[in-house]
Amino acid sequence: MDEEPERTKRWEGGYERTWEVLKEDESGSLKATVEEILFQSKRKRVTESHGQVRLGMMRHLHLVVDCSRSMEDQDLKPNRLTASLKLIETFVEEYFDQNPISQLGIITTKNKRAEKLTDLAGNPKKHIVALKKAVDTVCLGEPSLYNSLHLAIQTLKHMPGHTSREILVILSSLTTCDPANICELIKTLKSLKVRVSVIGLSAEVRVCTVLTRETGGSYHVILDESHFKELLMLHVKPPPASSSSECSLIRMGFPQHIIASLTDQEAKPSFSMSHLDSSSGADLSLGGYFCPQCHAKYTELPVECKVCGLTLVSAPHLARSFHHLFPLQAFTESPTEQLQKDRFCQACQGELKDKSIFSCPSCCSVFCVECDLFIHDSLHCCPC
Amino acid sequence: MASEEEINLLVIVVDVNPIWWGQQAQRATELTLSKCLDAVMVLGNSHMAMSRTNKLSVIASHFEDSHFLYPGKSWRMGDSCGDDASSSGDGKYELLAVANNLIAEEIRKVMSKTEVRGNSTDTLLAGTLAKALCYINRVSKEFEVGQEIKSRILVIKAAEDCARQYMNFMNVIFAAQKQNILIDACVLDSDSGLLQQACDITGGLYLKIPQKVALAQYLLWVFLPDSEQRSQLVLPPPAHVDYRAACFCHRNLIEIGYVCSVCLSIFCNFSPICTTCETAFKIQLPQMVKPKKKKLKQPT
Repeated sequence: MDEEPERTKRWEGGYERTWEVLKEDESGSLKATVEEILFQSKRKRVTESHGQVRLGMMRHLHLVVDCSRSMEDQDLKPNRLTASLKLIETFVEEYFDQNPISQLGIITTKNKRAEKLTDLAGNPKKHIVALKKAVDTVCLGEPSLYNSLHLAIQTLKHMPGHTSREILVILSSLTTCDPANICELIKTLKSLKVRVSVIGLSAEVRVCTVLTRETGGSYHVILDESHFKELLMLHVKPPPASSSSECSLIRMGFPQHIIASLTDQEAKPSFSMSHLDSSSGADLSLGGYFCPQCHAKYTELPVECKVCGLTLVSAPHLARSFHHLFPLQAFTESPTEQLQKDRFCQACQGELKDKSIFSCPSCCSVFCVECDLFIHDSLHCCPC
Repeated sequence: MASEEEINLLVIVVDVNPIWWGQQAQRATELTLSKCLDAVMVLGNSHMAMSRTNKLSVIASHFEDSHFLYPGKSWRMGDSCGDDASSSGDGKYELLAVANNLIAEEIRKVMSKTEVRGNSTDTLLAGTLAKALCYINRVSKEFEVGQEIKSRILVIKAAEDCARQYMNFMNVIFAAQKQNILIDACVLDSDSGLLQQACDITGGLYLKIPQKVALAQYLLWVFLPDSEQRSQLVLPPPAHVDYRAACFCHRNLIEIGYVCSVCLSIFCNFSPICTTCETAFKIQLPQMVKPKKKKLKQPT
């Protein structure tokens, strides 16, 4: 996407001769080229790490979903709204998996107004339930970019300085209906250090380009559904923290999980604080997590204690984010023919059939392409 | 043609640190490494005998390295090594006989060839589990779409935990949880906090064996049934896992602590500089309140 006005648009440049990439070998088959293309696309997924850049670990993200009439368009099956909501559910799960101490809120906009679907919360279940119900909403009217950003700012501006404040807008319409000047709002966003990113479903809109450029976010327009998924997943990783965000020590509690049985003499049943607001689920239960400061009970972590305001997490939640802070080095690639020893991958014990092998720089063990991808995507540590 | 039966893959990770097993032999207890491997072979044979589609893999975890005992590399290169073993006289299922012989041969090779440096009883457990996950990943990709493969890992741990491997261990646990792979643990000697967390997070079973001699019995009773059958059995209750974090300065377990927002290190007391990432923190000073001037009563 061209973000600076000086760069030429794609239709202004010369022709791209895409047919020259495919080359036939002597027998006329394209097998070698196809394998090469598949291999390159596998490698593309292992992106380079940022290196020693400070990352914003505690994130407060507002997701703005456009529910206007253009979402009923059927270019994404069955219609844009259903396809987007399904992909957003996957995004929510991945987001809380990679950023366990962060929070997410969802806002919808239609009929020139914006309203909150869910508040900023750290628990993925509430969001997924709300998203499943939202599939039935009627799409009408025009979206309002100004109103949805304004609504998001109301909660984000009270967040402490050490967290990263982000807004992700999924915009499918080409118009927006704003009650006031959006340039003023962009200036407010910049002063509050909120980063706004947009994923467009139709085409590039200039106001979004300016918005994302001024606030430091990214703007992409999707090509098809799999590209949409890729773009959404780009926002799961923690972004580099801006230099102006403050670093502070956050006070947190690490409650113990008490499992008590009915035969235990001292076990007393109690209500869980997280269910007091909802009409269903307010049951007495024996075990749970007790806040170390005020002994209020909760059934799940991470949560912010409603009584005393202490953030409660468990040590594995913090450990989940460690691989962002200490990323695994990329392995060095070399052609398979250079290997003199047996051709076995040392991680999965399979034969090395691909044309290049990967070796770890620190322990010099050899891996195949599949293991390299698996290690960098999920494992984040070298097996040797 | 994809079969409708699902495939169960069991990976057994055995801790074979020679120093720990040597100390055991010196204390003249009944459990030696060969008896332990006998029990493992019994479990492996029973698992493969339960269903035709079950698969097995055994990995030995050594001081700085880990080796696959079964299936070995020579298994694929040709069946020449397996020919003399297949003609076992007692009519045993051929696969089981070959597996037993292969495991025995490989462990002999591993113990005689690997040189031991140093004196500690640690093993490279995190690395071995990572290799197991890579192996499971490869095997599940080799099957056609539509065949489900369910995997679990059983760890037989002898020595104590090694704190250096904490971060790699947690990465491995989260990767296993994402792939729905259960991690079970059978601990011979001392309790291991890391394995307790692993079993809790992935949904496996943790058991510390009260009597080491009966290892085979415990393996067959607790760890042979797979995850679906476990709900119908009465198994040992889950252990209480201590999820409190340890502070970076004193290594004490704390309930309330301070977390650095940049590097996520945990401290028990407030300090102006984070020792791990050396960022200076903004200390929030209490606001200065001007004392109200009280009107003094003039003494009359």
